Amino acid sequence: MLKKAFVVKVVWLGLLVVALGAAFGVAAKEQVTISFWHHYNAQSPENEILTKVLIPSFEKQYPHIKVKAVPHEWDQLHKKILVSTSSNQLPDVARADIAWVPEFQKLNILVPLNKEMADFQTVAQDLLDGPMATARVKGDYYGLALNTNTKILFYNKSLFDSAGVSVPKTLDEFFAVARKLSKRTGRPVWGYAEPALAGWNICPFIWSNGGEITDPEYKVASGYLNSAQNVEIIQKLADLYRDGAMTGFTQGAIPLTDGYAQGRYGMILEGPWKFAELEVSYPQFEPATAPMPAGAGGSVQVLGGEDIVMFKTAQKEAAWAFMKFMTGEFAQVEMAKAGQIPVNKKALESSVVRNNKNLLPFLEAIKTARPRPPVSTWPEIDKELTYAVTLSILGEKPVQECLDEAAQKIDLLLARQ
Amino acid sequence: MTQAVLKMPEIPKRKTIKVNYPFIFLLLPGLVVFLLFTVYPIVKLLVMSFFDWQIGFGQKSVFVGLKNYLQVIKDPICRKAISNTLIYALVTVPSQIVIGLGVAVLIHSIKRFKITFRVLYYLPVITSWVIAALVFKYIFNNEGFLNYVLTDLLRLTENYIPWLDRPATGLFVAQLLGIWKGIGWNMVVFLAALQGVPPELYEAASIDGSGKIKQFFYITLPMIKNTILFALVMLSIGAFNVFTSIQLMTGGKPAHQTEVALTWMYYKAFEARDFGYAAALSYILAMIITLITIMLFKYFPKDHAQRIGKLT
Repeated sequence: MLKKAFVVKVVWLGLLVVALGAAFGVAAKEQVTISFWHHYNAQSPENEILTKVLIPSFEKQYPHIKVKAVPHEWDQLHKKILVSTSSNQLPDVARADIAWVPEFQKLNILVPLNKEMADFQTVAQDLLDGPMATARVKGDYYGLALNTNTKILFYNKSLFDSAGVSVPKTLDEFFAVARKLSKRTGRPVWGYAEPALAGWNICPFIWSNGGEITDPEYKVASGYLNSAQNVEIIQKLADLYRDGAMTGFTQGAIPLTDGYAQGRYGMILEGPWKFAELEVSYPQFEPATAPMPAGAGGSVQVLGGEDIVMFKTAQKEAAWAFMKFMTGEFAQVEMAKAGQIPVNKKALESSVVRNNKNLLPFLEAIKTARPRPPVSTWPEIDKELTYAVTLSILGEKPVQECLDEAAQKIDLLLARQ
Repeated sequence: MTQAVLKMPEIPKRKTIKVNYPFIFLLLPGLVVFLLFTVYPIVKLLVMSFFDWQIGFGQKSVFVGLKNYLQVIKDPICRKAISNTLIYALVTVPSQIVIGLGVAVLIHSIKRFKITFRVLYYLPVITSWVIAALVFKYIFNNEGFLNYVLTDLLRLTENYIPWLDRPATGLFVAQLLGIWKGIGWNMVVFLAALQGVPPELYEAASIDGSGKIKQFFYITLPMIKNTILFALVMLSIGAFNVFTSIQLMTGGKPAHQTEVALTWMYYKAFEARDFGYAAALSYILAMIITLITIMLFKYFPKDHAQRIGKLT
């Protein structure tokens, strides 16, 4: 009898150990940490909303997933992803500029979501078609649209008042006003400031002036980039720089937000995040906005935005859960508070977004905004474009010559598709 | 036949090196690190320089022979970058040596506060490049300290001078930083050399009636010539490796006009993703540096005995 009791005890104990072990074992196995690389701006509330509101809320919803968010500067993030590709140390998820997606797809590092995620269609149908198209390469979707944006004209009202000029509606007026606002002696004032001379900065002028970067099929740049309209508009910018009415892209220039709010820059072309940045750094300052001045091609700005993408090395289940969360209504409404225009249809209908008067001019401008050429070599094309435009604007070489040379090089890059 | 050759007794044999196993065992950790982190990257880089190197998953790198090297040689921006580097070397190396030697001679000649001055001049050397570059950037910015002094305080000019925006002045600022940061190192090296010059030589010279300046040119300089050569070689290599200051202050802008060899290499590798080009450039640079070093060793005067002979 004793013997039997002993055996029963041992069996019970054994079962208990196994059960406990299994319980702990399962818990330990399911606990995952995913890393999320992004370029949410630390100067605006974006980063704070991500780390203090969104991630805690996600981790509460998915207790077994931890999100490690790593912030980068915009251009550093692109570089970091390329370098990490070569060393095979990519994160699980990243917030990628829409202009990078074709390039990453070509590098074969992104997960085609429509093929691998069973509920992709249900998730995608909640998001706007236009922004979702930026994640589509050769028929497959390599990301989810995360936010969209474009730029409008921000002008410094007190500078305008003291110069006695009105807000420019056309490109010609824009150049004239920029000159009138500028002052070269003492503490100089520049009528217009542009933080760089890349496609993001120059395309709006080219398109609004009726020019193009490439043909409609993105096969060739010669005959398009070096057209008469483009030479004309770049020359006008070069003249503006020569006359001391344009700055911002040079190394020694005052940072954009500071120059604008401190009354040193009369006009800048910026996105919806600028409101939140100004709110933090210059709460007293009241920004004023207007549409991009129109030219022969209308008022055409560049379409910006980000997709959230998953890398092939990711822990897919957890990564997908986080991507769905970030494109969900709650996260999108929260991010809209920092000036990130939602792409989630329900979020766009929410009162927070609809009553946000700062977002309205952008929602209007998006209707005519155009994306940069969605080609895998765009980052390289962009560099050639920047180089040519910078040389032109600095007056180092004739504009036509710069654009001719750039067009030839870009032809080769387009052919490498 | 072969046996006969092997048995030839008249060649005095050197003692064969015995394999010292414990010795090799002790060397092993260092050797492994050296092979892994120095030899392997150098060889891998050489291989990369002959390929159109791809980094994507499952992408094939294509062998292109010397194409990358030809591209580097033909590239006008690369030529600009290398000429900027050469100018940087030509400006900073002699300035650092002259000023560093001057400071060393002065410190050597004083009786008190030697250590204080040594520490003060050495401080820039141990300051981080990043911090020094950012401080210089702040000083030379359009709205920076120098423009404030020149325009608002001294009223020397009406307009702010865009130091960092123009290629020539932007590079000048980087050169200034290089010199400022290098003086201390030269000072220490030359101070050590000066202490090695026998004081009897100076005594003899002054008895023979030669003044301080003559003594400097006919005793000090010839006696520390090897140190000058050492400094020259080290600083030239250092000048070719200039990166942080340029990257932070001008970033190669505007339009790659202020690019130096390493910033251009970095740009081609990590921004333009042309790793093959960057690898080829790094090998071309290594060749240039080797060439310059060989020339320095070959053509640097070695006849200090003759110069001492001219003393009287």
